[in-house]
This record gives sequence, C-alpha cells and structure tokens, in this order.
Amino acid sequence: MAITERVTDTTKPTFWEGHIPVNYVYTYGQAGEKFFRAVKDKGTFLATYCSACDVSYVPPKIYCDRCFAKIDQYIDVGTEGFVESFTISFKHLDGTDRREPRILAMIRIDGTDGGLIHYLVGIDPEDIAIGLRVRAVFNPRRTRTGSIGDIVGFEPMKRRSR
Amino acid sequence: MKLEDFELGGTALSSSDIKKGKVLTTTWEPDLAYAWDDGVAIGRYLAELREGRLIGRVCYKCRRIMIPPRMFCELCFRPSDAWIPLKDTGTVNTFSICYINWDASRRKPGEPPLIPSVIEIDGASKGMGIMHMLGEVDPKDVKIGMKVRAVWKKPAERIGAITDILYFKPLRGKKTAGRRKKR
Repeated sequence: MAITERVTDTTKPTFWEGHIPVNYVYTYGQAGEKFFRAVKDKGTFLATYCSACDVSYVPPKIYCDRCFAKIDQYIDVGTEGFVESFTISFKHLDGTDRREPRILAMIRIDGTDGGLIHYLVGIDPEDIAIGLRVRAVFNPRRTRTGSIGDIVGFEPMKRRSR
Repeated sequence: MKLEDFELGGTALSSSDIKKGKVLTTTWEPDLAYAWDDGVAIGRYLAELREGRLIGRVCYKCRRIMIPPRMFCELCFRPSDAWIPLKDTGTVNTFSICYINWDASRRKPGEPPLIPSVIEIDGASKGMGIMHMLGEVDPKDVKIGMKVRAVWKKPAERIGAITDILYFKPLRGKKTAGRRKKR
C-alpha cells in the first residue's frame, strides 16, 4: 500500500515560516578579558608565554596547548606583524554580493606563535603579498568597547611604491 | 564525596556583573529564520483552518479518527486512509491557568490569565485533541469535560494557521460535564 496523496506540483507544497529568537552575551574568559582590556585601554596586544615550551599565544590562553601547564606570564607584544595568509571576499556575511571586496587576513603578531584574523585596510588587493608587514589600526580610544571591533583592521606599515 | 566538597573552578558571574560592565562582553543575535515544510497532512489541515474547518484522518484498521491529521498511523504502522471533516466543537480534556506569556514574561497587572487547554474535538476519537486557548470564560468556571466551541477569526483575516481559531469558548446551554461516549 502506498501513500495515495502525493504532491506533484512543485508550486503546491506549503510551508510554515518562523523565527527563533535567540541572543547571547559572551564573556571572554580570564585571558580574553585581559586581552581586550589591553586593546580597549592601551591599544596593544597581550600574549601569554609558556617558558617551558618557549611558545607564546595570541590571543592569550591560560593553559599551554603543548604541555597543559597553567600560564600566568602575560607579555605586551605590540601591534605589528605580517600577513600569514589572506583571502579577498566579495560576499557579505549573509551571502549577498559586496560592491567592494573585503580583505581578510591571518596576521602573525611579531615575536609570537599566534595571530589574529582580521581585515586588511588601506591597501589595494593587488598589492597584498604573504609576508607583508602590517600594523593594527584602532578606533579612537573613547569609542572602544573592548571587542574585536575596536580594531579597524591592519594596514601596511609602508606604502609600497609601484 | 559531596558536591560541596569540590572546589569549583572558573569565575562566578551574575547577570548584574555583566550589566554593570564588570567584565567585557560581546553580544550577538543569530538570525534563526526557518521554513518548515508542513507536509501533506498538516498542509491540508492548515488549508482547512483558513476555510474555518477542522479536518482529521481515519485509519481503517484501528478505526481511530486522528486530529491533527497524519498520513501514517503510528499504531498500525500503515498509511492512514481518508479525510474526515470534524466539528469545531469539543470537550476540555485538560487545562492550565497560566500567569506568564509564551516568552516567560509575566502577564501585566489586570491582564487575565491565559488558559491553555487540550480540547478533544467532536467527531474525532476519544483522547484526540488539539491544544488551544480557552476564552470568554472565568478561569474559576473552567472544568474538565466542559463543552466548548471554536471562535474563529473573520474569513479575510485567516492565514491558514492554528491561530485562525482565536480561542474556544464554553458552549452555553449544554451540560455535558460527564464523559460522553465517542467512537
């Protein structure tokens, strides 16, 4: 015996639309709190350093990935680094097309084993290269809220002459 | 060892700590929109609601008339057989007097409580019912076994949703507090 009622017209199926209201507040945790306080108040980046493994983490972690030891050594690592990897995005978050591309890059922060994924700003997409030296650009201090959005992006440290 | 013996890690935070900005936070509201394919049975059910009718499905093997309708009898493990028009009257199977809204906010002072209820629909098998609100009734007067009738939205306002029925109200003049025999 088969189900006798079948939908054969593809315009016929009906559906029910809904929206699940979900919102959340996320706290950054112990190390994240210190990191974003430094961004907000000082415009700089903090790393944690495991002396046993000689590894430094940006964003900071409270445990070393390698030896699982607790880390409490925080170091100011400044705001400079280089492009480790990048991609040029022509889409908005919702998948719609962008007019101007947005450049996302993995920035390795100098002297650390870590880095941040952020925008590249003030550069022509054609001029980007892996290894390009960059520096973080921050919003004015009074508008900073202690979030990743306090960083406008990373800009080239020297304009490349073409 | 009891729970109290463990020293818990982490940092205890209250919602007031977050509101006061004791710790930094980031907020986000994901856009969780969905479209649910309502299928053959519920599709027809909703279409009939738009017309101001309730409809069920019958299984010829167990002879149950089921509402909401389903294309498959979960007891006999076989497709259900036919559509059965049902009345828009029924009997209160169970109810609750509710002082909070769906989002868990309190009803405002002066707002009457909500009375969500399971209503066994006339024409369907015993125990077959739908959940809906009761209205035009004092919460004190609601009784299990009470006869009720659907109050519909105006035809132009119906969209093919369970909310095309505003609520069920007591059917006056019918004293059927006892269990009525149904097929």
